Amino acid sequence: MNTGHVISGAGHIGLIGWLFFGANFAPTPEPFQVNEVAMISGAEFEAMLAGTTPPEAVTDMVLPVPPETPPPPQPAPAVSPPPAAVPAPAPSPVPSPEQPPVPPAAQPMPPSDVQDAPPQIAPPPQEQAVLAPDISDRPSPRPAPRVAPEPVATPEPDTKVDDIVQEAATPAPSPDPAQQKQEATAPEAATTEIVTEAAEKPSAAPVSSVRPRARPNRPEATETTEAVAQPQPQAEAPAPDTTRDAVQDALQQAMADAAATADAAQPAYSGPPISAGERDALRVAVQKCWNVGSLSTDALRTTVVVSVSMTEDGKPVVPSIRMRSFSGGSQASAQQAFDSARRAIIRCGTRGYDLPAEKYALWQEIEMTFNPEKMRIK
Amino acid sequence: MQRLLSLLCCLALLALGAVPGQAQQQSGPLRIEITEGVIEPLPFALPSFVAETAGAQDLADQISRVVAADLVGTGLFREIPQTAFISSLTSFASPVQFADWRAINAQALIAGAVALGSGGRLTVKFRLYDVFAGQEMGDGLQFDGTQEGWRRMAHKVADVVYSRITGEGPYFDSRVVFVAETGTKGERKKRLAIMDYDGFGASYLTDSATIVLAPRFSPTGDRVLYTSYETGFPRIYLLDVANVGRRELPIPAGEMAFSPRFSPDARTVVFSLTQGGNTDIWRMDLNGANPQRLTNAPSIETAPSFSPDGSQIVFESDRSGTQQLYIMPATGGEARRISFGQGRYGSPVWSPRGDLIAFTKQSKGRFHIGVMRLDGSEERLLTASFLDESPSWAPNGRVIMFTRETQGAGGMASLYSVDISGRNLKRVRTETGASDPAWSPLLP
Amino acid sequence: MTLALRTAGRAALFGTMIALAACSSPSRFGADGAGFGGAGAMQPGSASDPASPLYFQQTVGDRVLFAVDQSTLDTQSRLVLDGQANWLAANPDYTAVIEGHADEQGTREYNLALGARRANAVQEYLVARGIDANRLRVVSYGKERPLELCSDEACYAKNRRAVTVLAAGLSG
Repeated sequence: MNTGHVISGAGHIGLIGWLFFGANFAPTPEPFQVNEVAMISGAEFEAMLAGTTPPEAVTDMVLPVPPETPPPPQPAPAVSPPPAAVPAPAPSPVPSPEQPPVPPAAQPMPPSDVQDAPPQIAPPPQEQAVLAPDISDRPSPRPAPRVAPEPVATPEPDTKVDDIVQEAATPAPSPDPAQQKQEATAPEAATTEIVTEAAEKPSAAPVSSVRPRARPNRPEATETTEAVAQPQPQAEAPAPDTTRDAVQDALQQAMADAAATADAAQPAYSGPPISAGERDALRVAVQKCWNVGSLSTDALRTTVVVSVSMTEDGKPVVPSIRMRSFSGGSQASAQQAFDSARRAIIRCGTRGYDLPAEKYALWQEIEMTFNPEKMRIK
Repeated sequence: MQRLLSLLCCLALLALGAVPGQAQQQSGPLRIEITEGVIEPLPFALPSFVAETAGAQDLADQISRVVAADLVGTGLFREIPQTAFISSLTSFASPVQFADWRAINAQALIAGAVALGSGGRLTVKFRLYDVFAGQEMGDGLQFDGTQEGWRRMAHKVADVVYSRITGEGPYFDSRVVFVAETGTKGERKKRLAIMDYDGFGASYLTDSATIVLAPRFSPTGDRVLYTSYETGFPRIYLLDVANVGRRELPIPAGEMAFSPRFSPDARTVVFSLTQGGNTDIWRMDLNGANPQRLTNAPSIETAPSFSPDGSQIVFESDRSGTQQLYIMPATGGEARRISFGQGRYGSPVWSPRGDLIAFTKQSKGRFHIGVMRLDGSEERLLTASFLDESPSWAPNGRVIMFTRETQGAGGMASLYSVDISGRNLKRVRTETGASDPAWSPLLP
Repeated sequence: MTLALRTAGRAALFGTMIALAACSSPSRFGADGAGFGGAGAMQPGSASDPASPLYFQQTVGDRVLFAVDQSTLDTQSRLVLDGQANWLAANPDYTAVIEGHADEQGTREYNLALGARRANAVQEYLVARGIDANRLRVVSYGKERPLELCSDEACYAKNRRAVTVLAAGLSG
């Protein structure tokens, strides 16, 4: 019998009792506060069409939308005329973009003479900046699209590059073996990374920062994870959060069970619970696509909880992906954090996650907490 | 804790004699926590912007290239070569075939169009898509300007894209004032120069007759404080960028005045003044009123920099015996030391976000650019070389530009930039040698 | 009035500043030798004329050197400065600008301040030896004007200097 089952089941049972006694501190489902942020279209789109102009746009974006309001008549540094920004009509599908309310702000400033000599500009990126010969850590553009660029910038010793490619190579969602196979490849990729990082590190940042120190733990975690088959609770993740999580988990499940019993709303599922190994496999799969490399330092401080509905073949239902809650950052940074989480879920799920079909009832709805604490720049 | 929990559970299980795998019900979502991810540049696709008027194609291409260069230059993005594209965008209005972009693993798609109107009016509009989510990120935007300003418009587009995806503030539409250097190390000619942040559009602000040092932008980016030897002695000058007019600041008597910086409200200048061989920090209204000595010690106090709220000043001092960093109230008073690591710390600069101090560190014969928190914690060295110095923050506080000088008789100074993560170190393109960069605020 | 300001060795600057300037170049330390425009045409007062600036520069010694980060004058420096003081006392028509310099191993601002300390140390010493403070001005070039260009201690040692540059003080 699978230890995971035992534990999970045990947690269940133990906590059902608990629930009956102390049922009050139920984790109330988080409201959708953030939701409208995620979905930009609807109302705003209408608003735009209705002719209401810019300001709204700003509310849902982090960035200061460029000078929509006539820029303060500051003597602009010798440069050219500050372009006036005007929100064009919104989402993709149809609307003719041409209609945008023609900007009253459009003629804000008389073009002052300019020294941006346009002609000289033909050549592309290299001009922009020359790589430092000694420490270049940028990927050169490569012909073939890959998920992961060259080992490059990534300081993560254990990042799994090439996730998607791998997945492609591991076609069948066959249960455990595949899982193991998949995980076996991951560290390999990680090794590449380590080498790169090690080679780069000295020149890039000679004295150790906080980051590197955190790293060494991670491979271990992964390794433990690889032992998959007989999941130990500890393997799931390091640290206290997990405990809390486990408790919440159990609680949640217990409550749900209670609810189920109460009104039998859902088709009862009887069978083994999701094993820790299965859970880990999912976690690892999503991790591989969770790219925090383009997140702001604020977003890297923001933990988001994202819910997603799954199809029976293990694919995420894209429109169902929602941010349930966030913590540690602003609403704006939560948006970027959510965006990257959503991309991760979708990208690594395009071929379906490797989840046990017979337990579909257990993973039809998934709630993922994306906690970038370890990935932080500081 | 967890172990304990599972143990208890097991006991409970045994006690109940329950058979696992039966009577287990889970509804409610499956929950997992993701704590590890990858750090990679985000791949984006940027088909050349569509020319909506005849003759605008060249401009559209150029603008597309600048946008892509801005994004790639951050190190946070990777451009998918156009040769890999499966579908093309022939019209700004046509719907996006997300599947085609997903297939080449483009995670962001930037679609734009350029129109050239009468009188050289240029219109640039664009949309940003999250390819995998199959939806637009934010609303489409449109910029109007003159044809000559196309580069700035491209930077604006890139700024919006960058900000929407990363959540970081924009910074591409900014300029850098610096010291252009020519001549050999021993007879170096120095001139003030200004350029776009990416090195384009450089022009000179002074001639090379005298040494000029360490220009600093005003908070509005329209004026520059700098040090010049034009009288034979270092004095501080205020230069108007637009008309290149300059005047010497009426600073109290002393052998030399240098290392000036604006306060965030642009009304005050803080600087170093040397009297009787001793250098202290002073502040003064820009018009010369209210000179006030902020430090008064026989040691060297210099390189002052205001906090963004104007309430404090970080500076360097060798009062402890070696150069270290200190923070004091902006009106003077007791200073607290914040740097305690091995080595010497100088030229501190307060981040525009207020949370970090960038500095130059000398240790074991090497120079570093680093950052630390306001209490000196979490010190991180971002670079190392024979000689790195004079950091300056990008307006969004995410990137630092600095001077790197090579070793030996043929030594040359160049500008480099680095992300505060320590990644993406690269040289900034300048025609001549260059030093002492000062990044402007985001242009209005 | 114009003060002849010289950057040690790099004469070109003040061509108008006549012979004087050309004479007081740093040849004593066998430095660059190239670059200063004074090589030719000199006055009657050659290096052998004790009243000549060239004599001051070459025989008396126009500069003193410092240890890393220091501005204290060692015994040898004091001897040189004693000679300078005597010379200045004997030639009251000259004024001088004392230039402080640092090696390249330091930040720009700090080196400016350090150079000022060094120049000031020399000035104070000369004043203590009876030279009127009004005849002496100080300036710091920090690391902007290295004499020796290599990036080794051999060069650095010569760059950490204070140079007394005579100026056309013609009845200062």
